[in-house]
Amino acid sequence: MITAEQKPIEKIREMIAPYQRILVLGCGSCVAECAAGGERETGMLASALRMAAKMDGKDVVIQGKTLDRQCVNEFVIQLDDLIDQYDAVLSLGCGAGVQAVAEMYPEIPVIPALDTAFLGETKSQGLWVENCLGCGDCMLHDFGGICPLARCSKQLLNGPCGGSMEGLCEVNPEVPCAWQMIIERLDRFQALERLEAIYPPKDWSKKQGKGPRKIIREDQQR
Amino acid sequence: MSNDKKPVLALFYCQNTHESGETERQSLEKEYGGSLRLFPIPCGGRLEPLHLLKALEDFADAGYVITCPEGACRYFEGNLRAKKRVERTKAMIRSIGLEGERVGILTNTDESRKPLSVLAGEVMDRLADLPPSPVLASSAQAGENPVRQTDKGDEA
Repeated sequence: MITAEQKPIEKIREMIAPYQRILVLGCGSCVAECAAGGERETGMLASALRMAAKMDGKDVVIQGKTLDRQCVNEFVIQLDDLIDQYDAVLSLGCGAGVQAVAEMYPEIPVIPALDTAFLGETKSQGLWVENCLGCGDCMLHDFGGICPLARCSKQLLNGPCGGSMEGLCEVNPEVPCAWQMIIERLDRFQALERLEAIYPPKDWSKKQGKGPRKIIREDQQR
Repeated sequence: MSNDKKPVLALFYCQNTHESGETERQSLEKEYGGSLRLFPIPCGGRLEPLHLLKALEDFADAGYVITCPEGACRYFEGNLRAKKRVERTKAMIRSIGLEGERVGILTNTDESRKPLSVLAGEVMDRLADLPPSPVLASSAQAGENPVRQTDKGDEA
């Protein structure tokens, strides 16, 4: 899923300052899972912003709504009936959600309330970790299901570097050494011989080599 | 708003922390007049930051929660969760310029469980010198009906 964190309220207040009627728009998908932009967080932010506005003596309208998904037009069009009531949208969606809403309603500013972070996994309650770069050329089968690009601080395809200490990364000792995990996993599968392969430099053209990527599936299209 | 006015407290309390029933809640609210609003919750862990924020936004000068002692939560960690959520709310209201003391948590004692009336009294004493909330002061000046405005905010 896509993870994100809320921007500081001071920054959000600065961004919405020019506007009088603001829709605080949450998203019920990835950013709800990472407790950054779901219905609950949308309610909290809207309430805090209303209180801040009252204390400043500002006559503004700040209302909240949460879509199931901000990045899918079929959900975004639910705003059709109410978008005219506002002069700005404060989106708690990821970057994709913010842009989907902005594209749907080009006449209204859409302001991001979150900083979109990474593709990650919910490791435990309140802990999200990055484990995919979206490189467009998945090699997880070669590395025992552990991505050396996302999880090795040095992004080594031909590791280990030899610097890890007790299974922890020398760059960031809070991070487990990805190559230690790769070796342990391959050993479990009795596939350590895969480590003898030499991997050429990653072909990054599949990630950003031709600008923004797209996926076309004709069988899914109208 | 006069400075002599007593602060209005929104007090959420875990129903398992003492034997207090609905009758005690009603009599307490009667005793304190409009300055105490009591909200029973099935566990401290049910408290969300939004509960405290909405109370502060709509009518309360302060929002507190009463939980069971640590290690005595019927649901194991509801009181610990409440503590974290109060801290989060505190950080949030500080970021908009409200005093952090406007939200807080009171944990019942382990040895002899205090009744709701005693705990509520302790919180009210703690808040005796709290100035009126600037949020509500500005609402009153603007002649707003806070409850009505909140309803609009939720249903946009």
